[in-house]
Amino acid sequence: MSMQYKIYKEPELKDPYMIVGLPGIGYVAKLSADYLVKELRAELFEEMYSSSFPPYVIIKKDGTVELLKNEFYYWKDGESKKDLIIFTGNVQPVSPEGQYEVANEVLDRAEKFKVKKLFAMGAYVTGRPVEKPKVYGVATAPELVEEIKRYEVSSMDSGSISGTNGLVFGLAKLRGIQSVCLLSETPGYMDASGHTLADAKSAQALLKVLGKLLDLKIEMEPLEKEARLTEKFVQEIEELERQTEEMRRTTAPPPPPKDIYF
Amino acid sequence: MAWVKYTGEPIVREPIAIVGSSGLRSIGKIAVEHLVEGLRPKLVAELYSPHFPILYQTRPSYVSHPDLPGRAGIELKGGKVGLPRVEFYSLASPPLLITKGYHANFKGQYKVANRVLDLYQEFGVGRMIVLAGYGGERGEVCCAATDSELLEELKKHGIDKGYEGPFYGFSGLVFGLGMLRKIRGVCLFGKTQPNFEDPEYPDPIATGAVLEKLNTLLNLNIDLSKLHGE
Repeated sequence: MSMQYKIYKEPELKDPYMIVGLPGIGYVAKLSADYLVKELRAELFEEMYSSSFPPYVIIKKDGTVELLKNEFYYWKDGESKKDLIIFTGNVQPVSPEGQYEVANEVLDRAEKFKVKKLFAMGAYVTGRPVEKPKVYGVATAPELVEEIKRYEVSSMDSGSISGTNGLVFGLAKLRGIQSVCLLSETPGYMDASGHTLADAKSAQALLKVLGKLLDLKIEMEPLEKEARLTEKFVQEIEELERQTEEMRRTTAPPPPPKDIYF
Repeated sequence: MAWVKYTGEPIVREPIAIVGSSGLRSIGKIAVEHLVEGLRPKLVAELYSPHFPILYQTRPSYVSHPDLPGRAGIELKGGKVGLPRVEFYSLASPPLLITKGYHANFKGQYKVANRVLDLYQEFGVGRMIVLAGYGGERGEVCCAATDSELLEELKKHGIDKGYEGPFYGFSGLVFGLGMLRKIRGVCLFGKTQPNFEDPEYPDPIATGAVLEKLNTLLNLNIDLSKLHGE
């Protein structure tokens, strides 16, 4: 596997927090990360490309081409008390090896910028309607668990967190980086055509907790509208994946053509 | 992993790369083969990789799957032994590096595309023109580009944007990853009727339409009667 980078800027940050939110179930993590980027007007400083991303590019409506990518944004608090790095993107690596590689790349940045605490975001799938999403939390140290409990976070002592967001959290522990994983309840529903629905309500609950933990004032009003936009965007990506699946026909083992010998 | 075997010195420096591979209705592949046949460029390099299957386990070949790497092997043609490969041909006038692509399996797609781009940089390629197909009624040609300035340039030649969606495989990744190396590029998409039974079944007429546009852009004077005849 190989990684490629496009660095736009080397921000100077003071003991920042890092927030991690790649697309996953209900797009809870991505929706939350995108919303923070937009609301705080966070600035893009690095793009990352991995050979473990799906092998295609996207031709956009305006006729230009776009690569699948992950992105690092930064935001500087006026008083430099809670500078932020926000990690998100339009895709997750396909393979477990790729997910480990990307997660370690994220943590390399966390170490480089001396991140004091990392918050990985994700979804907690209920499989049933959720009226008021609860937010569950796990942390790398008992005192952190106690801290997050003070902010209406339910503790979670068993289960698994799949995907890159969960891996970043787990690998952070190995590197001695204080880390919290927040999982917001979502039904995990799909629409009639099999598209995952972006869950704004779940993201809103998560952002409310994150805002309290970081003492950030986050305006929640436009989140619903944002959710629809994210939903549209991610559905387009999913549609591509669906088309890929439809297009791809497994022919294993393929019938040998006449002029090919084994 | 991918390695290059040089078969000759490139005739010119800083050529425009022309890229085609076996995509939808094989438009890119036939277009490049037709250029090689008509312009008689010099073969200057070949790229080999263990990620090139001789038999694909997915159909079409350009839509790969992580669990279906295909089968490795060799091909025999006219009694000659060959490995699956990407071929690079150099032409003096106009200065071109014609690239006949080959789809790697899932694990190799990004690696191969990046190795191709290494070679482009070695040869001083600054621009590329990718030839491919997209689904629809047959006959028209639309374009995509790495930047809006190039789209404007193409518009002046009567070629407008028109396709929106994924671009799979060798040509798509070479096109997209080229942006990271500051290689500017355009893609000419020939509209073709998808053939669901055999997505790579050749469409010489749509290929001819794409090459006609390329003829206009580069003043190639390529004879297309053979393609139209088919």
